[in-house]
Amino acid sequence: MYNAIVVGGRCAGAAVGTHLARQGLRVLVVDRSRFPSDVLSTHFVWPHGASYLNRLGVLEQVRAVTPAHTDVTVVNNGIELRGSVPEQLLRNQFRLLHDDDSGITTDYFSVRRHVLDKILVDNAVRAGVEFREGYAVKELLRDEDGTVIGIKGRDGTVEHAQVVIGADGRNSFVARALGVEKFDERPRCTYAYWSYFSGIPDADAQIHRRGRLGMAMASTNHGQTMVLTWGPSEWAADFRADVEGNFHRALGLISEDAAGTVARARREERFYGTLDQAAYLRQLHGPGWVLVGDAESFKDQCTALGITHALRDAELAAEAIGRWLGGETDRDTALAGYAAKRRSQTAAAYYDYVCTLAEMKPLRHDELQLFAILRGNQAEIDRFIATHVDVAPVSEFFDPSNVFLLNDTAKESSRDHSAFADFEATYREHQRNPFQRVAAEATR
Amino acid sequence: MTGTLTDEREDGEVVAALIAAADEADTDPSTAAKAVAAAAREVSDMMRNWATHIPWEDLEELDTLPEDEVVRFFAEDYPAIRADLEPMWEPATAAAPAIDPDEDYALDKNAYDFFRPVGANLLSRTEEFHGWVEARRRTETWQYSRVLEAAPGGIATITNDLSKPARGINFNSQDYLSFNAHPEIREAAVRAMRDFGPHSAGSPMVLGNTRISDDLEAALGALVGLEHVTLFSNGWSAGFGTVTGLVRQEDHILIDRLAHSCLQTGARAATRNITRYTHLDVEAVRTHLARIRATDTHNGIMVITDGLFSVDADWPDVAALQEVCHAYDATLLVDVAHDLGSMGPGGTGVLGMQDMLGKVDLVMGAFSKTFASNGGFVAARSPAVKQYIKMFAGSHFFSNALSPMQTAVVLKAAEIIRTDEGEALRGRLFSAIHALRDELTTRGLTCMGSPSPIVPVLIGNEKLARTVNRLLFDRGVLAFMVEFPVTPTGASRFRLQVQAAHEPEQAREAARIIDGALRDAREHLSSAFGNSF
Ligand SMILES: Cc1cc2nc3c(=O)[nH]c(=O)nc-3n(C[C@H](O)[C@H](O)[C@H](O)COP(=O)(O)OP(=O)(O)OC[C@H]3O[C@@H](n4cnc5c(N)ncnc54)[C@H](O)[C@@H]3O)c2cc1C
Ligand SMILES: Cc1ncc(COP(=O)(O)O)c(C=O)c1O
Repeated sequence: MYNAIVVGGRCAGAAVGTHLARQGLRVLVVDRSRFPSDVLSTHFVWPHGASYLNRLGVLEQVRAVTPAHTDVTVVNNGIELRGSVPEQLLRNQFRLLHDDDSGITTDYFSVRRHVLDKILVDNAVRAGVEFREGYAVKELLRDEDGTVIGIKGRDGTVEHAQVVIGADGRNSFVARALGVEKFDERPRCTYAYWSYFSGIPDADAQIHRRGRLGMAMASTNHGQTMVLTWGPSEWAADFRADVEGNFHRALGLISEDAAGTVARARREERFYGTLDQAAYLRQLHGPGWVLVGDAESFKDQCTALGITHALRDAELAAEAIGRWLGGETDRDTALAGYAAKRRSQTAAAYYDYVCTLAEMKPLRHDELQLFAILRGNQAEIDRFIATHVDVAPVSEFFDPSNVFLLNDTAKESSRDHSAFADFEATYREHQRNPFQRVAAEATR
Repeated sequence: MTGTLTDEREDGEVVAALIAAADEADTDPSTAAKAVAAAAREVSDMMRNWATHIPWEDLEELDTLPEDEVVRFFAEDYPAIRADLEPMWEPATAAAPAIDPDEDYALDKNAYDFFRPVGANLLSRTEEFHGWVEARRRTETWQYSRVLEAAPGGIATITNDLSKPARGINFNSQDYLSFNAHPEIREAAVRAMRDFGPHSAGSPMVLGNTRISDDLEAALGALVGLEHVTLFSNGWSAGFGTVTGLVRQEDHILIDRLAHSCLQTGARAATRNITRYTHLDVEAVRTHLARIRATDTHNGIMVITDGLFSVDADWPDVAALQEVCHAYDATLLVDVAHDLGSMGPGGTGVLGMQDMLGKVDLVMGAFSKTFASNGGFVAARSPAVKQYIKMFAGSHFFSNALSPMQTAVVLKAAEIIRTDEGEALRGRLFSAIHALRDELTTRGLTCMGSPSPIVPVLIGNEKLARTVNRLLFDRGVLAFMVEFPVTPTGASRFRLQVQAAHEPEQAREAARIIDGALRDAREHLSSAFGNSF
């Protein structure tokens, strides 16, 4: 009999297991895969994600093998902003969510999942978690009231616990087995294709958007650079017709500089990709079960927050489960506390923010103007970046008194940026699917 | 795994091959099994550990099974696997229910998205915004520009801008003490009309004021404890005029980030040296003042705040703010538009509640909430400040004065406010306020701030707020939904403005209706989010 069984042992699962074991609870974590291994992800970890890793005690281990940076460059239709997530905003966020701002770092990095997840699993074991890999859960055990009381593996073994935690990802077995409903699904999302390149010097991460396309470049493990491009999922079928050709074509359309860098580099792995990124929320808990990480909510990759949010939710869920199993309060009160933090209006505003971004509509004139007027105002650039990655609430940046003041105190004007030169024609052009034209020309 | 890593096919291609091979299983099961197993082994680790609902192990082992097992697999197990595999390479939009483009557009954007339109023609470039307004109107999510069919009491009859009528409990009007229907107030208006006519016929700097104006200035001076009062033809221009009248380009402004539009706009018109401080945060003000004074001792600093905040229903520690202002030779301006007359001892508002009457550098207000008229004022301790503002506040000098009727109405209101009757009206008002807040809170809704004539019900998300707004219109509660540019994005809410004429039971009934509409809207949007920040 365990206090908790966790299904899935990566960001969400290993983290929630570690936190619970540190509270003195008996915890079993199982995962169907073996470690080290990869999982579909471009594995960018923002400063709050890195801070969560620090709180788990693995930051130094990750940093030892992973290049880290603080400044990031964000370029929209050629308008460049460079900045970092401010420490003060990180602190505010951690105090608000966890009443504790220890372990804050302003570093970010891109860490391969075969690196990160292995470190997390080993750390969990060190914390006292019992871990079984290559263990696929095939059935949930329930008592006569329907309360979940344990698991049954593919190998037929049975284990019991006071709570079963589903940390088993987007295609969660636990959620499917329980028939847990999805809420607020947002079918409009991006396709994403990426690979790993050698020969690009370690540098700050770059994130570019032009029209309906995006690309990112981030130094990662093994001296390689992860290069990613994305666009609206409606264009994916055309993109897929020639992944390699369209990958480079997309980079060229977005940023000639970046495309040149990648063209000179050497690809070290196959291309990976998906368009299966529709956002959803699921109910967070019920009798004998709790969901964390992708199992409980998913958002498009376009702001690269799944890992960070999985680590956040692991900490929130462990706080709540700890209060319950530690006898401080009853189950429903404790888990309602977890739900309240996950279902705040600040979280709702961010969910909308990401889902709207994931539609990858061409950048509107007003949006571009905002990027132009931010230039030269470092404090607000930093706050914008923090808002973009869910460190500061949307409502604090997009406050009328702030955006109107930014307008009235702008240091640059549209004359300084070619994006405004022939805006309307470019905007129309950006709505056309460039890969479709290529496909049509190829068949002619 | 086979081949070098770079040569391996991308998963989409591999899975397409897998599906194509499986589709041939009818004709040649063992060849299909070999091809499927080979493809399954070629799928990347990345994909395998992500698409955990696909039994990759079973697919990989397919070519080791006897032929009858293979046939059974393709007939019985495979169809469900195919149904899970295929959508992973199809856009989710293909399977999703069709979206009404109007509704989508109306619920999506916010006003700021149209603030910097493209084009050289100032008139034609308003079209894009108008397209959005029209989408909001067609979907009945446009809360603006409703009109009254009769006086706005506790109940009102209105039509929206599509000429759709509604009648309901009215929290959409600002008339906190219900003076609009008060016989003495109406009588004062009629008398002034008879004595002076409807028109003031000039700037207050020329000949726009009457004897009643002098009496009103004196009455207001007595109410806030600062005797030198200047009148403006509306509250907005009082705020804008006061800030721009006194502050120059090299001066500094510290302004609460949620202070009213007239103050923010005035600040931006006056100087670029503006710091928006954290809402109500006196310590932040102290820090900013210290920073400014460390390098600039010869220019002015104005610190600006609302008294009762008009969409947050909270107020600052005015005493503490005034004290830090004195310490750093800064000037405090407090806008008491909503609280003066409607709350506090003798109707003295937030200043009276904090024993700050006569102790604040500058106090401004608007008559439009409690005093049953257009108009506004600023009060100062010295005649010099008054004369300076009159000269350099353009909205005072260069604008027609309050009409005689308006002036008389405000004067009468200021008198009643200080009587026992005023106290009784405030008592009625607060009974309704408490009834409303209690019922809303009991139902799990979030009332922001503290008990005051403004009861903000937090919704947060705009999509949700606009949907509630649509539902509420038909259900007998008239309530104004505020979103950007009144509130920050993601912080929309209903601002309920209570009147002395509201019965507590009406307030409770309204709370029940709002709760119902919110539930239905949440269901409509399939939203799982709650109603607190
Ligand atoms: C294209 C793409 C790019 C992304 N890029 C980023 C990024 O840059 N930054 C970022 O932060 N996030 C990114 N994400 C999101 C991020 O990868 C996920 O949010 C994160 O992996 C979620 O972690 P998790 O622990 O909840 O689930 P997962 O990492 O999916 O782990 C779930 C685990 O559960 C196991 N499991 C499943 N079923 C069972 C079962 N029945 N029995 C036992 N074990 C089981 C699986 O084997 C798996 O190991 C990206 C996602 C995609 C699709
Ligand atoms: C705080 C505050 N100040 C000033 C005003 C402007 O008053 P008026 O409506 O009289 O122009 C308002 C009203 O909107 C207000 O809420």
